[in-house]
Amino acid sequence: MNREIAVVAFAQTDHRRTSEDISEVEMLMPVLHEVLARTGLKTADIGFTCSGSSDYLAGRAFSFTLALDGVGAWPPISESHVEMDGAWALYEAWTKLLTGDADTALVYSYGKSSPGPLRDVLTRQLDPYYVAPLWPDSVALAALQAQALVDAGDTDEPALAAVAARSRADATANSHAQLTGSVPQGEYLVRPLRTGDCPPIGDGAAAVILAAGDRARELCERPAWIRGIDHRIEAHGLGVRDLTDSPSTRLAAEKAGAFQRPVDTAELHAPFTSQEVVLRKALKLDDGVRVNPSGGALAANPVMAAGLIRVGEAAARIHRGEADRALAHATSGPCLQQNLVAVLEGDPR
Amino acid sequence: MPEVLKAPLVVEFPFTRSLGPVQSAFLTGLRERVVLGVRTGDGRTLVPPVEYDPVTAEEIRDLVEVAPTGTVTTWAWNHAPRRDQPLDTPFAWVLVRLDGADTALLHALDAPGPDAVHTGMRVRIRWAEERTGAITDIACFEPYTGGQAELTGRTGGFEDPVTGIVAPARLDYTYSPGRAQTAYINALAEQRNVGERCPSCRKVYVPPRGACPTCGVATLEQVEVGPHGTVTTFCIVNIKAKNLDIEVPYVYAHIALDGAGLALHGRIGGIPYDEVRMGLRVEPVWTAGARYPDHYRPTGEPDADYDTYRELL
Repeated sequence: MNREIAVVAFAQTDHRRTSEDISEVEMLMPVLHEVLARTGLKTADIGFTCSGSSDYLAGRAFSFTLALDGVGAWPPISESHVEMDGAWALYEAWTKLLTGDADTALVYSYGKSSPGPLRDVLTRQLDPYYVAPLWPDSVALAALQAQALVDAGDTDEPALAAVAARSRADATANSHAQLTGSVPQGEYLVRPLRTGDCPPIGDGAAAVILAAGDRARELCERPAWIRGIDHRIEAHGLGVRDLTDSPSTRLAAEKAGAFQRPVDTAELHAPFTSQEVVLRKALKLDDGVRVNPSGGALAANPVMAAGLIRVGEAAARIHRGEADRALAHATSGPCLQQNLVAVLEGDPR
Repeated sequence: MPEVLKAPLVVEFPFTRSLGPVQSAFLTGLRERVVLGVRTGDGRTLVPPVEYDPVTAEEIRDLVEVAPTGTVTTWAWNHAPRRDQPLDTPFAWVLVRLDGADTALLHALDAPGPDAVHTGMRVRIRWAEERTGAITDIACFEPYTGGQAELTGRTGGFEDPVTGIVAPARLDYTYSPGRAQTAYINALAEQRNVGERCPSCRKVYVPPRGACPTCGVATLEQVEVGPHGTVTTFCIVNIKAKNLDIEVPYVYAHIALDGAGLALHGRIGGIPYDEVRMGLRVEPVWTAGARYPDHYRPTGEPDADYDTYRELL
């Protein structure tokens, strides 16, 4: 199957510490309207809709069905949902377009982390027999990985602080970001990670539209063609893995064709500074690659949307002519458990 | 904008999970103060043991004992323990490769401070006093100087093996219903039913959720509906619900309030249960100080014609 598929539009909310004044669908709807408006499409024109979210974040059962109100899903539309970051919803939509069943797809995801204790909520995704009963929170697990990197000589605290500073400085140009500018590294949250090494906790949503072939060219002046996309997972036992490396990211990148030619831009989903170190190594990114010009997840990390936002940000740079070949990465689970890599290209200028 | 409504929401559930043969042996072993690993086809020993080889996916069942002593492979200092974590005083999270194992186990290390912890340090298991066959039978690790502790020589065959675990989980949320539902709940507390009209298809949603699911647009125009309405359909409840002080049988009905574009639901009272019918005209009954109607009762009006509510069933 060889069908050209592109990201033709991207929109996101302003990411905020809390959105308690609005419900999930009220948060999501403006983003859906914005992304549709960018293409001139209406809900009824969309061939397939796929979303990513998790009920655990806000503690609301079947919240994704309520969010569908914002799409205009009645009479019934062709629709699917993944209990994963929206980057994986995009993967499903991409396969749907590959089959030829649809020419356009709307992909969205959202996360409201503010109603619950996020660090504890995320423990519920862990191995329920050996790990979850200990309630190791998301920062603790990232800190174990960071210490392993320090021990291996791959990084140190000043290098991690530099990742944080660069990300939040870049984020000053991103009006949607939550944490920007000069942010103190702060105290240890779980040593060796300081507050500055960790992502802000916040609420937000994002949406992209995919289109195939000539439909993409009609809808977008410079489509961001998905040249390859793949996702891979590590063994689930943390103690089985080498936490200083990410073979799943490297394999996904290889399958997505990332190593065939250099990329000029990479949007990496590294919620913790130390994880950028792992990803740069796995993806063999040199200093010539512009990494996370948006500020990345250290500037805004709406859980379940932050991975899709990486794809959207990379695509938007191609749309604007600021990049020609970009890599987008999304992650899920503890210590970069599962990783998705997409390679996007614009037509020659 | 009126103040945002908020309420505590506790989600609490005991997950009952069955164990495979390897997990059962491992957790039963912990109860007996024996640590078991599983051998892979290429001769590595995995602790904690799993049922399938993480590399080849081959089924693995060859249990071997490892020591309760080991070496820290990485650590992280947790100065502010969170609820349900293994220790309530500051501790280190550690991955420990037990003597005889090729992989590491996640747990807590009881140490006086971060300066007392380093990768490569020797530790041993501190057993919980009460052990049930769970990962928490290891209370934590503690610093240890010395070589590999002696093995018990046991590799399974325990009396009364555990076959499952019950893993309690509690998460505390603060629920806020958003703009549309806040407005609805606040109006209801003033004994008014206020829905929202879709600007596109003009349908009035009660209760409103902020969006029209047909048009996918925000519903912003507020419309007061009712208080009278029509029973569109109903059921007779014969089973008493826990924590609900209502005599059975009673009727639970879909009620289309006058002016609403869809039915909401409520209990019907003030009429014998077997006299409730489709088309019955009803009104809400409020108890003193309540924020929502207790139930609906007949108004005495003639029954509504079927054609007036056929689209609202």
